[in-house]
Amino acid sequence: MDPTLIKMAIGGLALLGCIGLFFGIGLALAAHKFAVEVNPKVEEVKEVLAGAQ
Amino acid sequence: MSRLKFKGLFCAILVTLVLVPFSGRCASSPSNKFIQKSAFKGKNDIVITFAAPVEEAWAKDISNYRVYEEPDPDIRLEISNITLSQDRKTVILHFDEELNQNQPHVVTIRDIKSQGKNLGTAIVKVKKLYLGFLFSIFIGAMLIHNFVFTKYLGLCVFFGTSQKKSTAVGMGITFTIVMVASAMMSWFLYQFVLKPYHLDYLQIIVFIGLVSLSVQAVDTILRKVNPVLFKAFGVYLVLVIANCIILAVPLILADNEYNAAESFMLALGAGLGFLVALFLMSSVRERLELANVPPTYRGLPIAFVVAGLFALAFLGFSGMSIF
Repeated sequence: MDPTLIKMAIGGLALLGCIGLFFGIGLALAAHKFAVEVNPKVEEVKEVLAGAQ
Repeated sequence: MSRLKFKGLFCAILVTLVLVPFSGRCASSPSNKFIQKSAFKGKNDIVITFAAPVEEAWAKDISNYRVYEEPDPDIRLEISNITLSQDRKTVILHFDEELNQNQPHVVTIRDIKSQGKNLGTAIVKVKKLYLGFLFSIFIGAMLIHNFVFTKYLGLCVFFGTSQKKSTAVGMGITFTIVMVASAMMSWFLYQFVLKPYHLDYLQIIVFIGLVSLSVQAVDTILRKVNPVLFKAFGVYLVLVIANCIILAVPLILADNEYNAAESFMLALGAGLGFLVALFLMSSVRERLELANVPPTYRGLPIAFVVAGLFALAFLGFSGMSIF
């Protein structure tokens, strides 16, 4: 294999990984900041229901 | 308080996105300081204004001017005659053929002679008004090449959310916001990350990621900031990810090598065009509820017929050009 191709592929992987990581952290922070309290009972009721549909 | 802060931040980002590209554009000036202005006039003329009176014999000599369209330097345009104004400051170059004003024209003016002095050669680029070009991109994306009615993109969301006017308008506005945000991000990533590292073959993957990122961000923020609107959108907000328009715009930007201001205008035009399409469609469909439609056509079939009629009407815009 041509070493420049391998270099390019690894560079691309690293770059896209960095972009993904950056935006992932950004989204996580946003989710934390704009968090909405959900009533835990909603989930519990859903669990108890049959849930076929 | 935090809501106000968020709004302020958003406005600041928008303003910088719009202003930054302009500041660079305004600074561009002709290469020779003696030339004050150059512009197209009418269909066949180019007007050049000098800072001081020039010599008549020099100004009227056709061989002192060379004009070509920027992409084809080999093809010289024939000047038919030249007129000089009374104060000898303004030269009008007449051409026999119509000028293609969509292309910048390069005018080379040799050895400018004014008051017995040789002021050197000037190369001037004559362009259409840039703001007009931006505006034509905007109108083009919104009406002339409306993504829904002339390109048939984004139809699933279009038919899904056009039943009620209020949902349609809300959807259109959210879509515009998501569209502008994701288009600007994809423009930035394409120009400054993908192109320099020769990764432009990954553009579709990156754009899909960016679109889902901005949809997720709007989803998270809207859930907190405006729960009523969030409920009204329901599943359709997530459907924005699957909308073809939102992926088509970054690809068009990348293909045409638009700059930031042009990308902003295209994204805004595409978003508002979708809003217009949704609004028109929902007003018709609200009336269709009351109309006596044959049972076979009720619901989606008649909506498709209406959309086809709208597409025919929008065909009237095709081939139009502004400025």
